[in-house]
Amino acid sequence: MSILEQLISGLTFPNLYILLPEIIVLLTAFIVFVLELLSKSKFSITIITTVGLILAFLSTSIIKEGGVTFYGLYLVDTFALLFKAFLIMGTLFVVINFRPYFDAKKSYYGEYYYLTLFALLGTMIMVSSPNLVTFYIGLELSAVATYILAGMFKRDYKSKEGAFKYLIIGGTGTAIISYAIAILYGRTGTFDTLEIAKQVNLNNLDYGVIGGLILLIIGLALKASAVPFHHWTPDAYEGAPTPITAFMATVAKIATYAIILRIMVEAFPFVSKEWALAWAILAALSMIIGNIIALKQENVKRMLAYSSIAHTGYIVAALAAPTGIGISALIFYSLIYLFMSVGAFITLSALEKTPGWTNHIDDFKGLAKKNPVVALAMLIFMFSMLGIPPTIGFMGKLNVFLALIGSNIWWLAIVLVVMSIISAGYYLRVVVYMYMYDPVKTSRHNLAPPEVVTIGIMAIVVLFFGIYPTFFYDISTTVTSLLIASIGR
Amino acid sequence: MVPYEYYVALSGLLLVLGLIGVIIRKNIIAILLSTELMLNAVNIAFVAFDMKLADVSGQVFVFFILTIAAAEAAIGLGLIMAIYRLRKDVDVNTLTELKL
Repeated sequence: MSILEQLISGLTFPNLYILLPEIIVLLTAFIVFVLELLSKSKFSITIITTVGLILAFLSTSIIKEGGVTFYGLYLVDTFALLFKAFLIMGTLFVVINFRPYFDAKKSYYGEYYYLTLFALLGTMIMVSSPNLVTFYIGLELSAVATYILAGMFKRDYKSKEGAFKYLIIGGTGTAIISYAIAILYGRTGTFDTLEIAKQVNLNNLDYGVIGGLILLIIGLALKASAVPFHHWTPDAYEGAPTPITAFMATVAKIATYAIILRIMVEAFPFVSKEWALAWAILAALSMIIGNIIALKQENVKRMLAYSSIAHTGYIVAALAAPTGIGISALIFYSLIYLFMSVGAFITLSALEKTPGWTNHIDDFKGLAKKNPVVALAMLIFMFSMLGIPPTIGFMGKLNVFLALIGSNIWWLAIVLVVMSIISAGYYLRVVVYMYMYDPVKTSRHNLAPPEVVTIGIMAIVVLFFGIYPTFFYDISTTVTSLLIASIGR
Repeated sequence: MVPYEYYVALSGLLLVLGLIGVIIRKNIIAILLSTELMLNAVNIAFVAFDMKLADVSGQVFVFFILTIAAAEAAIGLGLIMAIYRLRKDVDVNTLTELKL
């Protein structure tokens, strides 16, 4: 047997069946890429992207059993499929709102569509990585595409400045994460999370493991914008076009939470006390600083950016209790955060089309008199982010709170409750301005059909599943038990 | 033969140097170069650990990092071009429109 034959006989064909959602998203991106060069037809680009995303969403449900492919570099399990379905759905609701917004802002480029699809593909690779190499590639694919998206506003300096800050701090985060991977590789000799888990336990903690773990947590916290590594978030979110902000604040963020959970639980299950303390401190800082700085924001988009930092705090607070309840609370909160955040940012993007709208809080004066339906939807999203009972945001916070109490981490539970009360200051301010003032300007707000659909669906989901949270509760509990069962694999 | 610890120490030094550069430099091109320096420090660390373990997967990872560093540099230079066209300036002290 010649050397070439030996080489070929060692190759196996990848199991493409379980990669179906990724393949559909990638093909759609390539088709849009070519079509954008050839025809410039805005209508067909939107339709093809939408149809591709719907097909990808449906294809996540026809995969009957998962598996490992690409020589153990790619893992499709229930956890990955669940997050992929929600990531695709979030992207779908963001993408359909591109055209009305960019047409109104005179900043239309066909590039937005395929770059968003590439970023989505990166997040999908990220959530199904059993290996640090795959994780790194997915993270960078989504990050690099998002840097471009954030800076693509035509002739707008703020967009470029926000994107540049994001690039520099994101690039630093990349370097820190890859250095952490290098140290862990040097210590354990492998990139596979389960192999790392076998070699890292309480009896052999040394400087290599601790240094690698600390650097990895810093890098991941930087990508998830936890305080004190949050400085890029408000600038990048404020500068980016609002639908892109919606994408960054939901799809990219949720994939980051998912991969934080996966790496911590799968690669370091036997040192969970150590990383739980680190995440508890980061969560407390994020809640305190994010909420307090949000109080003094006059710009609603920037206020929502700080609120997203605070939400990072609420979500990673669940990691402080590394039990089944804590993991399930994290999954529950990340999934429902998609709905309220997409809803709030798309409402903002719909209002921003009005001439003279600057996202300043004064612009919201008397919105309820001019456009009662939009004001009601905004009220629902604000109440949900604040965590008022009939909305789903309350259930998310309640789950995290119960998980913290179940693990006797009272100080963090108290911080969570106190900071939720403080956050009422800025969420309710928007509501007060909308309902208790008279309109200053008489400009009308015209909503495009996709925006009506998105805002309507998100408001109904937030209300309906707030009354009936069993659906989300069941799926997060099931996924958690499967994830825990896979630790000793 | 140089022991691998020396290379690891060098890479750590370069990483810290890059981090300091990102924090204290005032020119946006120099800041971008500092992030590239950090990524190259990681490459040295990977090759050094690779030498210690007598493995090849670390060297494969270096290729991924090289590609990503190139992509980031391309985007960063593009953004610097766009910023320079709009402002005729590359100094971070005067390029501050987004503030707390």
